[in-house]
Amino acid sequence: MLESKYFVLGFAGAFLTAAAISPSAFHSHLAQKTATASKPSFASSVTPVIKVYCITCHSGAKPPAGIDLSAYVNGTNFAANNAMWERISRNVSTGHMPPDGMPQPTKAQRAAMVTWLETTLSGNCKLKDPGRVTMRRLNRQEYNNTIRDLVGLDLHLADDFPSDDVGYGFDNIGDVLSISPLLMEKYLKAAEVVADRAIVVPEAKPMHFEADSMKLTAGVSVSDQNQVFFFSNGQASIERYFTLAGDYKLRALACGQQAGPEPAKMAFIVDDQVVQTVEVKALEKHPEEYEISVPLEAGKHRIALAYTNDYYKPGPPVEDRNLIVRNLEIIKPPLKLSALPESHKNIIFITPVSDNWRPAAKQILTRFAYRAFRRPPTPSEVDRLMQIADYVHKDGQPFERSIQLGVQAILSSPHFLFRVEADNQSQSLDSYELASRLSYFLWGSMPDNELFALADSGQIQKPEILKAQVRRMLKDPRSNSLADNFAEEWLNLRKLALINPDPAQFPDFDEKMRAAMMTETKMFFNGVVQNDRSVIDFIDAKYSYINGQLAKHYGIDGVAGDEFRKVSLVGTPRAGLLTQGSVLTLTSNPTRTSPVKRGKWVLEEILNAPLPPPPPNVGVLPDDGKQVAAATLRQKMEVHRKNPMCATCHKKMDPLGFSLENFDATGRWRAKDGDDPIDSSGVLPDGTKFKGAPELCSILIKKKADFVAGLSEKLLTYAIGRGVESYDKCSVDDIAQTCESNGYHFSALVNAIVMSDPFRKKRVTGGKVK
Amino acid sequence: MSQLIPRRKFLKGVGTLMALPLLEAMLPLSALASSMKVRTTRMAFMFVPNGISMPQWTPSAEGMGFELPEVLSPLSVVKGQFSVLTGLAQHNAFDLGDGPGDHARSAAAWLTGVHPRKTAGADIKNGISADQVAAQKLGHLTPFPSIELGCERGAEAGNCDSGYSCAYSSNISWRSETTPVAKEINPRLVFERLFGNGDHSDAVESRIMRSRYNKSVLDFVMEDASQLKSQIGTRDQRKLDEYFTAVREIEERLAKFDRVNATVGLAGVRVPSGVPQDYADHIRLMGDMMILAFQADLTRVATFMFANEGSNRSYPMVGVPEGHHDMSHHGTDPVKLRKKEQIDQFHVTQLAYILEKMASIKEPDGSLLDNSMVVYGGGIGDGDRHNHDDLPILLAGRGSGTIKTGSHNIYAKNTPLNNLYLSLLDRMGVPTETLGDSTGKLQHLF
Repeated sequence: MLESKYFVLGFAGAFLTAAAISPSAFHSHLAQKTATASKPSFASSVTPVIKVYCITCHSGAKPPAGIDLSAYVNGTNFAANNAMWERISRNVSTGHMPPDGMPQPTKAQRAAMVTWLETTLSGNCKLKDPGRVTMRRLNRQEYNNTIRDLVGLDLHLADDFPSDDVGYGFDNIGDVLSISPLLMEKYLKAAEVVADRAIVVPEAKPMHFEADSMKLTAGVSVSDQNQVFFFSNGQASIERYFTLAGDYKLRALACGQQAGPEPAKMAFIVDDQVVQTVEVKALEKHPEEYEISVPLEAGKHRIALAYTNDYYKPGPPVEDRNLIVRNLEIIKPPLKLSALPESHKNIIFITPVSDNWRPAAKQILTRFAYRAFRRPPTPSEVDRLMQIADYVHKDGQPFERSIQLGVQAILSSPHFLFRVEADNQSQSLDSYELASRLSYFLWGSMPDNELFALADSGQIQKPEILKAQVRRMLKDPRSNSLADNFAEEWLNLRKLALINPDPAQFPDFDEKMRAAMMTETKMFFNGVVQNDRSVIDFIDAKYSYINGQLAKHYGIDGVAGDEFRKVSLVGTPRAGLLTQGSVLTLTSNPTRTSPVKRGKWVLEEILNAPLPPPPPNVGVLPDDGKQVAAATLRQKMEVHRKNPMCATCHKKMDPLGFSLENFDATGRWRAKDGDDPIDSSGVLPDGTKFKGAPELCSILIKKKADFVAGLSEKLLTYAIGRGVESYDKCSVDDIAQTCESNGYHFSALVNAIVMSDPFRKKRVTGGKVK
Repeated sequence: MSQLIPRRKFLKGVGTLMALPLLEAMLPLSALASSMKVRTTRMAFMFVPNGISMPQWTPSAEGMGFELPEVLSPLSVVKGQFSVLTGLAQHNAFDLGDGPGDHARSAAAWLTGVHPRKTAGADIKNGISADQVAAQKLGHLTPFPSIELGCERGAEAGNCDSGYSCAYSSNISWRSETTPVAKEINPRLVFERLFGNGDHSDAVESRIMRSRYNKSVLDFVMEDASQLKSQIGTRDQRKLDEYFTAVREIEERLAKFDRVNATVGLAGVRVPSGVPQDYADHIRLMGDMMILAFQADLTRVATFMFANEGSNRSYPMVGVPEGHHDMSHHGTDPVKLRKKEQIDQFHVTQLAYILEKMASIKEPDGSLLDNSMVVYGGGIGDGDRHNHDDLPILLAGRGSGTIKTGSHNIYAKNTPLNNLYLSLLDRMGVPTETLGDSTGKLQHLF
């Protein structure tokens, strides 16, 4: 985002000094005389305004927001402080500054100042600096997706990784994503797990589990000689990932303390299903092997031994039957080519001829490194991988084990974990870097074979090829990652998981509904992406994707069952994202709606006009009993807005939020709040009167240019993995413009981003590009 | 392994909820405890967000033998084993001209005493935290220099507080001024990290081979990283340095694990299966993990955030379906004030569980609690005013006999909280002259 999003206005400072306005501020007409017909300059457009309206507060030892303008009042010294002037320009243009209650410049003065600043600032981007993204490590979702596409196993190992750091609203920002020892530990472990599960190592030796290492239930304990003693019915179990599907043999070494009418019985259990129960006739101290056979699918299985016929008769003489187990062995099925998992066959795509294993290993590791590093590996990298393979081979280990360790090393390498873009004298990204930018932008994952082929041939650099790829990639289901990653963060959807509406007030809201709300919004977003709809649908679409539960919640008839489907919203007060349960719930408090949060959300996510945070020590309604006891929330808020400290922002937020008051804190339609009828009317700062969600929608449509500008900036940030800076301003404007002139199609927006300098180029070493 | 009982045998029966016999004989066998023959002092910092209801937290009388105020009433069992320290301040959490963002600042400054840079982007800057000062000096003595625990993930969307990066509100532990130390929120993962995953079915020789292979992988990636270093620009270098540091720390730890065979009596320990649904269970289980790590001398330094700063979690289990942050802005509304007290007392109830458990664990000289210094509190006084003076701070444990407990100490207004940390670092054997905005050592602890 542009730096201006993070401005902090020193409200407290501004208002505290409001009582001590300099007398000169009242003589604003003097300033107007300075406007002349000559070419606008800093002295003619900016100085007069700041001298009269800004400097009162913005000077001295502790200027509000750290903005001291005293250096600029007397001259033309427009310093190259883009970020600050952009902030100023935006605040003056939106009427945010000077704050209410202070003398205001005329419309013409305001326009002259903003126009001059904008022209001058955008002039800076003629320098065409494409910026430089810091080497990005894969975030959790990218890691999961990349492993899925690289080895063909959807293991979700990154779900256990620590949270990714967030910057500029997204968790794929190179500068911010860090590697802690904790995370590194998890990367190393994950690499080992992936290699273990993707590749089957032929081993004649059975898996062997000493009984005392197994997980025991109550009634089972470890006795002296490391045997497991079942003194009542219970289980000893292990859980393992089996890479190979086939017929396994389970073999237990067991005996019984026999008593009563029958021998001890032991059940072999797989995933809570009894496979077979055997009679353990062996006597104590003379254990025997008991074996059964069972087909297993590849995947995780829990294998248990259970004692099922405990017997005890109080004496005398005491009769006590117990089961004793020493160990469990699992004998793998013979290695058949057809039973090998796809992941194994994909990685080990050739088998060595006789003893000459090295050429095959080299080809296998080269290919795997190429795909994992997302570029051809260097000869030196391949050499070092072969050293690892040799090291394993010298131990007399099977060929597959050598490959396994090579794969583990590749997946632990910085070249896999980071998306490296070389620092060289070329301003254009190389073809492999470009392919990765494209795939991680649209799929949150590595390039596929087609992209690799286009990178190999260099074709990917051609604009028409890029465009064709964008079209293909957006239609591919992997573009769901835009919903999972971009939309979740853009719309703050991840907050939905943290909101817990009061069950007493909202008994309908349960985990199923929370999930349904999330699904609705993501399907809606995906619908726009994959059907290449207009991005304006996000504001005014008269359709959504709901299931029976949501339909009931929304009061829409004729939709039953768990399946989500596209449903028309014509004839309902709902349209676009804003009236979806997810957004309405995540902008509410647990016990009531929050027009403030809803208004803030509209300003930030739809209108691209974020407000500064409230000054410290506010957020408190005046404490006089009468006002706080006022019947409705609206009346309470009116009180709030009478306070000039609060009014500047609240008069923008509150009317937007109040127009959605007919939707309760979980997004259900309501006509009353308690006993009071809902009043969904509002007046915007410019005097526009409106009422209810449909009229809000019309207002937002009129401001769609703001929406598209904001969306462009956010999607660009996500695409390039760095904050959008002042030198990107032209690119952002171009992207928004291109989107508009191409019917607002989602693909037009994406194409414009992909064709932009920040996406396709990089700053060469030594600073700005000529 | 020689005189030590192999860990595999030791962990047998893991997963049962049944209490194993307390294998006390094992504890002194821990290589470190037996070789050092001196008392081992531990240090823990536990953090709660959004301030505390100070009138119900602060004892009315000064000095020894004070009566427990309402919020502290769950601590009756360990009364006498902690002190309440009133009047301490974290001045650098105030805005100091930076405007709003008290939540982010208060968490960032809590253990650092440094004014964090206001940014939502890449250039985060804070200071090193007290726990990490200790960890960096003492880390070589234990497999883990420190552990960082929490119950809430770092926020996943947006800037967290008025233009401050989420790194500030979700971390109290800072390795350096630019690097927060990520915390673990899943008790199962903490357990696996400390003790392995309990799956010790591999034969010994294959485990040794595996660890040898893993080491060759580390050698390979270090070489990769070195070669990469010459091909990238300065900003990328910073990221690569993080990679180097992380890999090196892991190498060192692996070497230590070879040397130290961590053992611990797992009597009555619940081996966690994941993140408990119930929040109280979650806090307690994380507390169990911390205690286990201390007991086994896997680390001597811990931080534990019960929740992230600004958390808006609801507490229906104590009759507060509303959000914590919302209630902390009570505006002197008696209903909200009451709810805030309920939340504060809920947290202290969990603290009581942890302290009682520490007090019940016998060590050669007194209890684990006697040999520890546990700081509990937050970086905001009143959640409504966002003040950072008059902070709620409680100090439990006797620091191996170096701290007198059971007292309510009132310090001069605006005494830096960091003075307390300097005093604690002394007792850890890590004398430190200054930290953040410290002005000296805190008096009257003994």
